[in-house]
Amino acid sequence: MGKINFIKEYFKIAIKSLKARRLRSWLTIIGVVIGVFLIVSLMSLSEGIKTALMQQLKMMGKDLIMIFPGEITDMATMMSGGLELTEKDMDAIKKAEGVETIVPMNYKGEAVRHEGKVKTILINGVSWKDGMDILKNDFGWSIKEGDWPVIGKKEIIVGSAVPTDVFPGMKVGDEAFISGRKFIISGVLKSLGNKQDDSTITVDLDIFKDITGEKKGAKIVLARAKQGYEIDEVIENIKSNLLETRKRVRGADSPSFSVLSSEKVMDIVGSILGMIQIAIFGFASIAIIVGGVGIMNTMYTSVRERTKEIGIMKAIGAKNSAINTIFLIESGFFGLFGGIGGMILGLGLAKAIEFAVKATGNLYLQASITPQLIIFSLGFSFLIGCIAGYLPARSASKLNPVDALRYE
Amino acid sequence: MSESLIKLENVWKIYQLGKIELPVLKGINLEIRKGSFVTIMGPSGSGKSTLMYLLGLLDVPTKGKIFLEGENVSGFSENELAKIRGQKIGFVFQQFNLLQNLNALENIIMPMIFQSVPELERKERAEKLLASFDMQKRAHHRPGELSGGEQQRVAIARSLSNDPEIIIADEPTGNLDSSTGKIIMEALSELHKKEKKTIIVVTHDPTIAHYSQNIIHIQDGQIIHNHFQEEKVLWEQNSHKS
Repeated sequence: MGKINFIKEYFKIAIKSLKARRLRSWLTIIGVVIGVFLIVSLMSLSEGIKTALMQQLKMMGKDLIMIFPGEITDMATMMSGGLELTEKDMDAIKKAEGVETIVPMNYKGEAVRHEGKVKTILINGVSWKDGMDILKNDFGWSIKEGDWPVIGKKEIIVGSAVPTDVFPGMKVGDEAFISGRKFIISGVLKSLGNKQDDSTITVDLDIFKDITGEKKGAKIVLARAKQGYEIDEVIENIKSNLLETRKRVRGADSPSFSVLSSEKVMDIVGSILGMIQIAIFGFASIAIIVGGVGIMNTMYTSVRERTKEIGIMKAIGAKNSAINTIFLIESGFFGLFGGIGGMILGLGLAKAIEFAVKATGNLYLQASITPQLIIFSLGFSFLIGCIAGYLPARSASKLNPVDALRYE
Repeated sequence: MSESLIKLENVWKIYQLGKIELPVLKGINLEIRKGSFVTIMGPSGSGKSTLMYLLGLLDVPTKGKIFLEGENVSGFSENELAKIRGQKIGFVFQQFNLLQNLNALENIIMPMIFQSVPELERKERAEKLLASFDMQKRAHHRPGELSGGEQQRVAIARSLSNDPEIIIADEPTGNLDSSTGKIIMEALSELHKKEKKTIIVVTHDPTIAHYSQNIIHIQDGQIIHNHFQEEKVLWEQNSHKS
């Protein structure tokens, strides 16, 4: 009889034994299910978020440089929105060697009225003259309906979610009022990849200044490097120009800034998300290991309870390796079944969150369900099951047949 | 005279209880011949169960040698002994010792799995054995659903599943009423007579002795009688008195 055949028989024996202890078997499996469920759901969601963000970032051209006020490493300060780049900063950026053009960008929430309904929407201010190409080519903006606004006219473009979610029924050619000023909707953008961006209105920077009263400064400045210049070289030039200008104006206490290439932004975002994923993986792995301790506990209890059974099996000809294999199969089963259960629940939750976020949320999230994730989670849980069962199985196989038969 | 099957030479079994050494068997010399029916008798604590475990290769002696078909097996590893047990020795226990998760048929099949018998042959052989003990209708019942007598018949059938030469029975009637006990002993006797199996029965019940040709009396870890005629006469005298 082939090795596979007797392994099959040991499988049958192991399953019968697991069935005989149904409740305990289920409780042990649930311990593993929780760990795998956490790993699968969190990993697939975080990978999905990473993919969505990276896809957006990849659209940016390699010759694009972003200048932010504050330190990129200090997200809280940057996000608070209090910092901005001044007109002098922008001049310094523009004059830096290797800079072809700059596009200041600004944003602010304003009340928008359309057919009697008023809602507060984020308004982006971009210089059409300098920035339209960058938006089209580097940020992948394109028009779904209508046309790009004509520079100098009071025309605006709206994100794809504005006519559907914000002002249902809004269409190209409609009038909209921002801070009491009338504008014509010239076009609707294709989706930008997340609902937050799709729910904004974009206007020319001059119009933005008029509407908001924020005449000076910008929250972000985009700069394009001239052809023939190394991007890192241009970044260094911008940095030194900005530093010089700021020191001249504000002295030693000049606020900091960040100058990053689009690749660097991708690196930073990628590494932050990668660290988050490692943390998620670490915590979820601990949950699986706890499940493994549960398996070990169950297996030791099982060995003690079945000492006489082990003695009988040895008396009727079972070798140590047979006993060892039967117990290892049992513990491996706990791991594998826990893995399958956890994977199904985890993928189910990830998909449910994906649909919920798509329906109501702010991000177009696609839960990442890869064969690697499935193989890994099943393999890892099975491995944990086998490792957890190794010592109990070994102790079972090493039992002296006479002692085992005499055990009551 | 038939050839020697199991031979014990100056076998000692000493248990270590902390610092105290407890000799349970003290220099046993014994020869069991092929095709014989041997009864080992003795009071509780005499060492008869320990002797049975050594004869069944479930244990190894502290000192001395055990020969099986002329081969010294005292130094064999646990796996080597397991292989010999599976092929050459069948056990019948007082507590029946059937696996509770398995039904009667599966219990009989189990020793064959460990000897890598092909699946079809296993099932066929197990069904035949069940039928020979008139247990075919109880094939799919678990031990808990069988009477003591039925369980012991399944246990005897299991002991025969690999067609061993030796059947070792430890108090096989100990948990049965006298009429069921008689049926079980008749079954073992049949195996001895018809199939020429070597039967070793360990008991303290003198009524069992009349089935055997060779009665070994053990006391305080030593054989005090090993004679067919002597014990047979004694047993007959005792049974007349009662």
